[in-house]
Amino acid sequence: MVYSDKAAKWVLSFPLLLFWVVMVVFPAGYAIYLSLHDVSMGQGMSSFSGFGNYLEILRDADFWHSIGFTLEFALITTVLELVFGFLLALLFNRSFPGKRPLLSMVLLPIMVAPSLMGIMFRLILNENNGVATYFLSLLHIQVNLFDPDLVVPLMIVLDIMQWVPFTFLIIYSGLQGVDPGLYEAASVDGASYWRTVLQIILPVIAPIFFIAAFLRGIDAFRTFDVIYVLTNGGPGNVTKTASIYIYEAAFKSGQIGQAASASVIVAVFLLLLIPFFVKRLSK
Amino acid sequence: MKGLLTRCVTLALSLTVILAGCGSKQDSSTNAGGASGGSGQSGTSKVSMVYWPGPESDAMQKVVDAYNSGQGKTDGVNVEMVLLSRDGTYEKEAAMMSSKSDEVDMYFTASYIIGQHAPSLDALDGKVNTDGYLKSSVDSLRMNNETLAIPMDVSNHFLLYRQDLIDKLLSDSAWKSKYGEVSQKVLGQTLEPKDPKDWTWDDFIAAAAFFSQEYNPDSPTKYGTALQMKNLIFNVMIWDDFLWSSGGSWLDESGKPQLNSDAAKKAMGIYSTIYNGKMTSPNSTVAEYPETQAALQSGNAAFAVQWGAAYDELNDPARSPNIAGKIAVAPIPGEHKTHVHALGVGLNKYAKNKEAALKWMNYLTTKDAMQIYADGGGIPPIAEVLNGLGEKKPVLPLIAEHVDKYGYSTPIIAETQPIMLKLAEDLSGAWAGKDDIGKALEKAQSDVSETLSK
Repeated sequence: MVYSDKAAKWVLSFPLLLFWVVMVVFPAGYAIYLSLHDVSMGQGMSSFSGFGNYLEILRDADFWHSIGFTLEFALITTVLELVFGFLLALLFNRSFPGKRPLLSMVLLPIMVAPSLMGIMFRLILNENNGVATYFLSLLHIQVNLFDPDLVVPLMIVLDIMQWVPFTFLIIYSGLQGVDPGLYEAASVDGASYWRTVLQIILPVIAPIFFIAAFLRGIDAFRTFDVIYVLTNGGPGNVTKTASIYIYEAAFKSGQIGQAASASVIVAVFLLLLIPFFVKRLSK
Repeated sequence: MKGLLTRCVTLALSLTVILAGCGSKQDSSTNAGGASGGSGQSGTSKVSMVYWPGPESDAMQKVVDAYNSGQGKTDGVNVEMVLLSRDGTYEKEAAMMSSKSDEVDMYFTASYIIGQHAPSLDALDGKVNTDGYLKSSVDSLRMNNETLAIPMDVSNHFLLYRQDLIDKLLSDSAWKSKYGEVSQKVLGQTLEPKDPKDWTWDDFIAAAAFFSQEYNPDSPTKYGTALQMKNLIFNVMIWDDFLWSSGGSWLDESGKPQLNSDAAKKAMGIYSTIYNGKMTSPNSTVAEYPETQAALQSGNAAFAVQWGAAYDELNDPARSPNIAGKIAVAPIPGEHKTHVHALGVGLNKYAKNKEAALKWMNYLTTKDAMQIYADGGGIPPIAEVLNGLGEKKPVLPLIAEHVDKYGYSTPIIAETQPIMLKLAEDLSGAWAGKDDIGKALEKAQSDVSETLSK
């Protein structure tokens, strides 16, 4: 039996389509369905509530606070991770002794599960038995990194420590693909190293930058594990991300309908960013 | 030849699948009832009970094994524990409850979540005898005058303190004199040191200051106490002791929130005085049970309000070499109220094997079953069992005594856990001095009112 090209395309893409429907379309559709109903933990669906859950969430100051913090966190971490990742990629884009083992070490943090990272730093920074606090005390430095004024920068630093290797890896692969002739041509023209990097190399790898920014931005916006393990969103709600807000609404308060509506709002918000990146990438 | 080979492989695979199917059928029948329960060929009913992994399920497994090989044979019941992940047990149960699943016959539950589980559980009054249990533990699993689960493991708080340091404080005149100076500085009144059993909250603060190097550079400990201030519902349970033992509660007798009461302000004031006065580690903002243990084990703190289960570890020379044998127990200062909550098991409203599950539950309420549970490392809320193990584990009779004499349970309503979440968020900022106490309590009052009105 001979299939037409069109039929063959459908047959071949069917498994992927099925996977996409089961893993993406159905959960998303079900989340929207739940968000329109009054659903609470253990009691199941009680009634259709229209946009009641959405109004409830949009009126909740805590939700907006969590969105504000998440935006701030995602923006700062993404920018800094791109900058540090780029600088690290420039460093590794040259030959130097010990480059390979050093490269493995640089990539190590992304191998660690984020929740484990949280637990590690919970131990490292503990005043009673923490390694970091012990060495700081030897230097007579007493600092409480979990102070309400310092806890946000601490969370940002931890995120940077874990995810700079990720942006580095993407940008480094982009740099590896740059035609060496460009460097030579710039050198012949007498351009300095930084001028070459900023005015010639950077525009060439700009799409790679956008990919790294997109992936890290979305991921940073969904941050949950490290912060949940270390501070549980506190003190107060200082470090409460949108993901922690949704998790608590669903599984601690048992308000499944409200949690679903918060998820839909966050998803819509993130979807609005996609055209921007698609436009940049398709240029 | 190739076609023949393909047909042979296909036939072999088909036979394998068919035989595997037969095998699994056979397994489930010998397992008495199959995965979803029901009666097996031998007339034995299978009861499946959800538990979370950890010391509680380790102890419970011993009871299950004893039952399955003994009384269970007479009852015609075989019990199987379904262990979910410790962190995700309630979430997975919630999914099963929401779908009115009959996949398991008994749910694992706890006082602080029983309100949310209530619609999926059968009332047990008249079906299971709970007379032998400590009353506050049974009460902590009752809602709307119905017993919704039987308590298996009880938790409460103590004031755990360094006996050696307090003994010196009570006998050394130089220390006594310094204590008076410090209390004058911190509280504006000169206090005499007292036995922790008689402490008021002022004594608690004065002792916390005396054992802090901030006020007493010669203190053998860096901080007097260790507060658990992370934004966490279990830390609200600890703070509740300060509230209840100051004469307060979340709700008044008519069920209205009273988080703006004088008692609540006093309880908040104690936390804030201690944290801002550097009588606890600045790290306390992210502290929970393990950090408090570390503070005591390292010798950095002289005393703390801590969970009863911590006592054994602190007095174990292998795990706490610096302080083992020096830790003693006193009631919570003030009115001595101690938070009590129980972990327990309830009957799934949609269970297939209710009759068999009730036979097992009735076995669980016997002294024999709970003795096995206690021997396995659990803390059953039965005074007779706890008192009988005093020689082996000195803290168990103390738990029995304190739970009975001073135990209270937070209001058992559907909103118990959501209220705790709100309190953790609203109050933890003020504990750390980030928010004003009055404003934090007003926000808590308003949030709890709103939660109750939903």
